[in-house]
Amino acid sequence: MELNRREFLKASAAAAAFAAAGASVLNPKLSVAGDAGIKWGKAPCRFCGTGCGVLVGVKGGKIVATKGDPAAPVNRGLNCIKGYFLSKVLYGKDRLTKPLIRKGDKMVEASWDEAMTLIASKFKESIAKHGPDSVAIYGSGQWTVFEGYAALKLFKGGIGTNNIEPNARLCMASAVTGFMTTFASDEPMGCYDDLDLGDTYFLWGANMAECHPVLFSRMIDNRLKNPDVRIIDFGTRRTRTSQMADQYIRFNPQTDLALLNAIAHVIIKEKLYDESFIKKHVAFKKGKENIGYGLEDKFKFADDPKPISFDDYKKFVEKYTPEYASKLSGVPAAKIVELARLYADKKRKVNSLWTMGFNQHVRGTWVNNLVYNVHLLTGKISRPGENPMSLTGQPSACGTAREVGTFTHRLPADMVVTNPEHRAKAAEIWGIDVKRIPDKPTYNATEMFRALDRGDIKVIWSQVTNPFQSLPHLNRYRKGARKGDGRFVIVSDIYPTKSTEVADVILPSASWVEKEGFFGNAERRGQQWFKMVDAPGEAKSDLWQTMELARRLGHGNLFPYKYAEKEIFEEYRKFTSGGKDLAPYEAYVKARGLRWPVVNGKETLWRYAEGHDPYVKAGEGVKFYKNKKDDGRAVIWARPYEPAAESPDKQYPFWLCTGRVLEHWHTGTMTGRVPEIKRAYPAAVCEMHPDDAKRMGIKNLQKVKISSRRGTIILPVDLNGRGKAEKGNIFVAFFDETKLINELCIDAYCPISGEPDYKKCAVKVEKA
Amino acid sequence: MDSNTNHTGITRRRFLKDGVLLPLAVAIAGGGVSTIFLRRADARGFYLRPPGALEERRFLAACIKCGKCAQACPYDSIRMAGAGAGVAIGTPHIIARETPCYLCPDLPCAKACPSGALDGKLEDVEKVRMGTAVIVDRENCLSLRGLRCEVCYRQCPLIDNAITILPRHNQRTGVHSIMEPVIHRDKCVGCGICENACVRDKPVIVVMKSPPEQKDYYEF
Repeated sequence: MELNRREFLKASAAAAAFAAAGASVLNPKLSVAGDAGIKWGKAPCRFCGTGCGVLVGVKGGKIVATKGDPAAPVNRGLNCIKGYFLSKVLYGKDRLTKPLIRKGDKMVEASWDEAMTLIASKFKESIAKHGPDSVAIYGSGQWTVFEGYAALKLFKGGIGTNNIEPNARLCMASAVTGFMTTFASDEPMGCYDDLDLGDTYFLWGANMAECHPVLFSRMIDNRLKNPDVRIIDFGTRRTRTSQMADQYIRFNPQTDLALLNAIAHVIIKEKLYDESFIKKHVAFKKGKENIGYGLEDKFKFADDPKPISFDDYKKFVEKYTPEYASKLSGVPAAKIVELARLYADKKRKVNSLWTMGFNQHVRGTWVNNLVYNVHLLTGKISRPGENPMSLTGQPSACGTAREVGTFTHRLPADMVVTNPEHRAKAAEIWGIDVKRIPDKPTYNATEMFRALDRGDIKVIWSQVTNPFQSLPHLNRYRKGARKGDGRFVIVSDIYPTKSTEVADVILPSASWVEKEGFFGNAERRGQQWFKMVDAPGEAKSDLWQTMELARRLGHGNLFPYKYAEKEIFEEYRKFTSGGKDLAPYEAYVKARGLRWPVVNGKETLWRYAEGHDPYVKAGEGVKFYKNKKDDGRAVIWARPYEPAAESPDKQYPFWLCTGRVLEHWHTGTMTGRVPEIKRAYPAAVCEMHPDDAKRMGIKNLQKVKISSRRGTIILPVDLNGRGKAEKGNIFVAFFDETKLINELCIDAYCPISGEPDYKKCAVKVEKA
Repeated sequence: MDSNTNHTGITRRRFLKDGVLLPLAVAIAGGGVSTIFLRRADARGFYLRPPGALEERRFLAACIKCGKCAQACPYDSIRMAGAGAGVAIGTPHIIARETPCYLCPDLPCAKACPSGALDGKLEDVEKVRMGTAVIVDRENCLSLRGLRCEVCYRQCPLIDNAITILPRHNQRTGVHSIMEPVIHRDKCVGCGICENACVRDKPVIVVMKSPPEQKDYYEF
């Protein structure tokens, strides 16, 4: 049955010896043959941001098996069901193996040379006619660090446009702007060890049980060992997480803003805050209000932060009485008081965890700020076992999109294009004239596809993502891509997707261990792997594709590498000193990941904390040293409650929320190719409350027509599924490419982060 | 019933240790290894009948093999038994691994039955008893090995009733929990959705003939 403890230790010891033996062993080309002639190499899982380690078994040039890596600190040999089937995701029957060029309605096979010649000519033509801002690249948090870095360098340092965005804009941009506005440095202070060390966990808009399955089992184990552990799930939908939580706190969509301010209100009113921590480590600020929803094309917003005093802030939260927040949220006032006290309980180690409920929010930056407010008021931050922690959804949303900075406004390691010193530093490392790097950000992801629809962007290249399934208000952007008139869409992928459908050129890519790679997970852990198998047919890595375009555009001098992956990493590493330090490449070859900052070979578990973070001096305790502007303090923000962009009304009386299920990952292009997963969860359903269904005479499994102002879809209802919609709400997962729920979603976004709100729009439901 | 046979590799003691109901364990142990394969009928001739079916002997006597139930099924879950079925030839049954019963709220199959072999008066799908799901192969169950699978649980149409999750400490890793799916025979309707959804090549959870209730005075 199960391995007993002794056998497990034996297995772990073998794995550790395997790790200690170093690079040559971990490179499967050189590793010793296993029992069945299978060679094993290490890699992080291809799917979510948890970053589970896996051992990849290769035989006869194919991946024949994977298993959880017992030596990986994140998962210690475990996986979720997606990770279990990793060996199958690359071997779907319809894998793309040859470049394809559109000829009328047909996609015709072409050579790489033909395809790249065509792409380069389109880039050149568009740049010559319409300027560099008429071409763009759209990538993802699934880009390896090398791929993201190469794309950033080519577009910002070579072509001279800031038209680069990752799909991470749709997924965690609000977490970024939350971190940047509060701490002036992206990414969490805590790490997964907090899941073992804490005793109180507040979950906000996070279905950890399904979306971070291995981390969830870690948190639940903490509770099994310690009966004092409390898990409180704040949500607008009853999930598998709610089911296992100690308390499920249902609130009306969008009112998390009011709830968090009310929690701060109680903490202040009852004097539960940590006065000395606030004096030493906190500054107070206020920004603009009534900031809009980004619904208009070319929407622009710039916040205007003003310093305020603690007293001003106290006055600001006065309005957010438990009764006021209760009226908005539907959470009883007494419950708000109780939970505020729990947050502030000095005997408790309190953590907040959140995901898309916070980030995909038209006030996503604000709600991120507000949760930090509570931790900063109580001083429960940057301590082992108590931290606010933003969980991530993609394997390298942190490592690539955020740390390399593949956003229109960013440069590597927290730097931005608007800062002349930052541009100068980038230009120096890249060996280019600083004038090459444009100083103005162009488009966030939504605006980028609006620009394509309008025709301001002519040529767009999508790599490692599926925008034409994942964008909100999908109809507009799908149509926009096919409007012709010089528009040219290039899609690199491993399978036909909803995005390759609208492409003019499709490039077959290598994936995961078909190339050398480096991902960074949600706890700042960078993980390296080697190429273990050849990609099928003529498929090539996105890194090669980007560098090939660079060469053909005359920017080959930016990529003078012999061993591109390693040399890119070492070049990129120059950006990271001073708080985001990465170790030399070899260190990652040997380790099962390291959490930055890595200084003198030592990783950092808790940032800003004395004794853990090498940049915090003795005697400082905690120091938010990245925020030099505010004298090393973190910022508590006065951010009000404001309503959603679109709320239910008479015509569209339901809230629509979208999200994921455990079995499928994002748009399902990989998990949908695993027959076992496809059978386990074949198609999307519409979760609905039984009372709403009864009132409308809808029976379980009956088909319903769901419509918003933007689109219509027909789905069977699920009245007693794994997720239980609250009254007046429905929920649909977005993995199913035959049912594009994102056609209904509104393309409103947080004005500060630019992240769209996939969790809230108004729909009607009718019998189909 | 011989409670000491051990065809499935599950000892009686192990089951008791893991807190599974004794009568169920006894039933499985008698079940035989062939039940874990995709099957038309199991080793003892168990057919998964459509919802509302009478007890098997009475069902065989009543069924006129007209196929109306199969015609009424919107999912084509019900099929008529072929020549290999002996006396049951031509009777309706469900092969859960291929297409399970999705439990239509109005039970059109039972309503279509002209002979009373299926109880047309059955209104509540939760009262259906086609069989009972059983984890017949614990060693191959991914959830029991600590992986986060639990597909059977999440796809169960009576989630949190017919199947619940019992978390327990994973001694192998020391910091994770094993999420064990536990089937409750008093709630399981035997629809076979779990058997259909199981991600293993041979499903480790299958629907079997419901074991007889064995009353005693212990109520924990």
